[in-house]
Amino acid sequence: MDKSSISRPGQREGLFSSAVYHLHLYFLLLRAQARSQAVYRLSFALDAVGSALITLAEFAAFALVIPRFGTLSGWTLGEVALLYGLAELAFVLMDLLFGGFDAPNLSGHVRSGSFNTFLLRPAPLRLQIFGSDFALRRITRVFLAAGILAYGVSASGIVWTPEAAFLLAGSVLGMIAFFGGLFVIGGTLTFWTVESVEAMNVLTYGGRTLISYPMDIYGQFLRKTFTYLLPAAFLSYFPVLHVLGRPLPDGLPLLAAYLSPLVGPLMLAAAFAFWSVGVRHYGGTGT
Amino acid sequence: MQAALPSSARPNVALYASVARLGFRRQFAYPQAALWGLITNLFFGVLRIAVLVALFGSKPQVAGLTVQDAITYTGLTQAFIMALSLFGWTDLMRTVHRGEVASDLLRPHDLLYWWAAQDAGRAVGQFVLRGLPMLTLFALVWGATFPAGATGWLLTTLSLLLAWACGFAFRFLVNCAAFWSPDAVGIGRFAWAVLGLGSGFLMPLAFFPQWFQTVLAFTPFPSMMNTTVEVWLGVKTGPEAWAAVAVQVGWALLLFALAASVLSRGLRRLEVAGG
Amino acid sequence: MITVQNLKKTFRVRRGGLLRGSSVVMEAVRDVSFSVGRGEIVGYLGPNGAGKSTTIKVLTGLLVPDSGQVTVGGLVPWKDRRAHVARLGAVFGQRTTLWWDLPVHESLELLRHVYRVPEARFRQNLRDFTELLELGPFLNTPARALSLGQRMRADLAAALLHDPELLFLDEPTVGLDVVAKERIREFVRHVNATREVTVLLTTHDLGDVERLARRVMIIDHGSLLYDGALASLQARYGSPRELVVDYEAAPTDPQVPGLTLLGADGPRVRYGFTGAAATPIARVTAHAPVRDIAVKEPEIEATIRRIYEGGLLRDAALLKR
Repeated sequence: MDKSSISRPGQREGLFSSAVYHLHLYFLLLRAQARSQAVYRLSFALDAVGSALITLAEFAAFALVIPRFGTLSGWTLGEVALLYGLAELAFVLMDLLFGGFDAPNLSGHVRSGSFNTFLLRPAPLRLQIFGSDFALRRITRVFLAAGILAYGVSASGIVWTPEAAFLLAGSVLGMIAFFGGLFVIGGTLTFWTVESVEAMNVLTYGGRTLISYPMDIYGQFLRKTFTYLLPAAFLSYFPVLHVLGRPLPDGLPLLAAYLSPLVGPLMLAAAFAFWSVGVRHYGGTGT
Repeated sequence: MQAALPSSARPNVALYASVARLGFRRQFAYPQAALWGLITNLFFGVLRIAVLVALFGSKPQVAGLTVQDAITYTGLTQAFIMALSLFGWTDLMRTVHRGEVASDLLRPHDLLYWWAAQDAGRAVGQFVLRGLPMLTLFALVWGATFPAGATGWLLTTLSLLLAWACGFAFRFLVNCAAFWSPDAVGIGRFAWAVLGLGSGFLMPLAFFPQWFQTVLAFTPFPSMMNTTVEVWLGVKTGPEAWAAVAVQVGWALLLFALAASVLSRGLRRLEVAGG
Repeated sequence: MITVQNLKKTFRVRRGGLLRGSSVVMEAVRDVSFSVGRGEIVGYLGPNGAGKSTTIKVLTGLLVPDSGQVTVGGLVPWKDRRAHVARLGAVFGQRTTLWWDLPVHESLELLRHVYRVPEARFRQNLRDFTELLELGPFLNTPARALSLGQRMRADLAAALLHDPELLFLDEPTVGLDVVAKERIREFVRHVNATREVTVLLTTHDLGDVERLARRVMIIDHGSLLYDGALASLQARYGSPRELVVDYEAAPTDPQVPGLTLLGADGPRVRYGFTGAAATPIARVTAHAPVRDIAVKEPEIEATIRRIYEGGLLRDAALLKR
């Protein structure tokens, strides 16, 4: 029998070919998810439209009432749409990427034993989690968010410069990493207790809603907490302020508007450090 | 449906009362989850209030509501989320999909009344557990407008009960989709999104453009929450308030009749299909 | 293939609420040692909660023990997870590792990439297993639509596609009918013989053990009670054989010298004995006129039940220390 021909992971191999293999495997896992979901066509279609409808209803409610008031403390509908669209776009993309780490999904894997199945396969654990809950039905929300964002960009009269493009793209990337980090932390907590899930929801879904509106509408306490304690304001609020040509609050230097692509990955790195602790804890206790 | 209860000419009040009691008690099984739920509701309440206060800016009154009214409005809607199941409810469709409804049929009770009793108990439980603490907190932190006088309280209470009745019958109807489709959850998503917008949960209906309010006036959705809040705030008083409550009664009767008829069709279908 | 020395694992079990509760230390496995050679099939038995699944979890690298040395094929399971699990196959009867909504062959194809099995080798193995397990009729069926027996066969193929050196089977025949059970046992025997796959089998179905394993290990309360040949377990700890005698008429005194009276019901009397049956039969026929005689063999199931219930071996294990 020809056993030697099977290459084992851990064997020496080029960094490049290893990256290609892992990326390929990730896409295969995503494709498997997508194909599985496509089996239930009607259910998939209903879910796809239904999940966008909730966001649409929320934004429509806001858009419908704003003519009565004029502005949201000086922010036009277009300008709010900019913030709202950025947050929603980043959050839904994050949800597509990090769905496997979302606490209900991850604790589901732990309870059903499929987490053990991941551990019994010779592929990186995190890669398998990334490829475990790819909710393709959320794609409609990506389009909706992109639409709201596009409306925001055109209605707020942004001067379209490379710098503005960089700021907005960096904002989205930073938010994906930031909220992805929150998902990872929430998922990791379920190795200890599932009762913490609701608490994390305040941060993830609450945080997303918080930064969907200009942060100067919140009280000092809330605004400072989500600027200096949990640096959510750096993600989209500061970049958008700068793109709109408004000054940053608290006399912060302009540099603060550029930090989103740094703040997000930092959060994600911290989250994955915590994840490693969680996985080690799991190895000590099993289920 | 009527075939399922040959002996009960009169509804068995004691049975439904005990079902309701059970539904009430069940809500207190997970106090920790309830506490976190309360905190989540509170946090989102704070965000919604901030948006409304910012919208008002320096305007004293918009569409007949003051800032204080708008804050009370938010407090009430956040307090009612669980009691009125404003995010949706899928218990019935679950039992249908799992086939448990077949065993429910063997018992000598009316399914609609049975679920209504259970949901009433659940609603009261959630109101005590989540609603009252939330209202108290809101009143303490931001102050709140309260119904005016005994008539105000009477009308508000009546209107709240009717809001539950309309909401329950609507949710029950949506859940009945499970008799025909395995994708009732997806259908439900539509219904809950419309419920959130149309019942005034997302924004007070008074702030919407006139054309949209006119459209909504032809639907039962305002009766599922917005009416109650307006009666509470005293936006509607006297004959106007009684008329609003009468509209709620009408919708409640219509929706319950519809629910009963759809349920009986669904059950007949279930019998034909053999579960 | 496997060496385990002084394996110990405890769990902290929380009792009561989060605040006022106290935690209790539970010893899941205490001081277990054994080794398994390449190509062996070992039945690993024990009641639920005996420490069986804790041992398996340590061996598969899912759990880190408190103390003790464990190597599987020269690797420490929990230290080098990916290299270790690349050489393992595992089938858990209670759940599938296949993608629920995908056709079986697509799941297998995905696993080919996960385990990085070369194309040619994969085709060869898939051909072999398709033939041996008769997968053909349902390779295009999604896992959710398979019968239990089909699913188990597909899972077995999935566990062996990457030519593992060690196969863990957990309740591989649970819930199957006799024919399906036999087919699976036959297959396991075949891959063990032709591919030198070492098999560790945990099961409650002693039929699996009798048909597959020459060696059994019995664990209870975290300690290994028995490790040896199945045959000698039966000889040493099996209940006595039973002689069921139908006398012409109910005997006035059913007692027969040299035999243990187990019970009498009219003319039917049951005796226990050990060793060969000839002498007891001769004694019974000499005792009174006999119409019919039958010899009932003790069942391994009864033996093992006796061991669990009576703690028969616990005393022996304690003496050994």
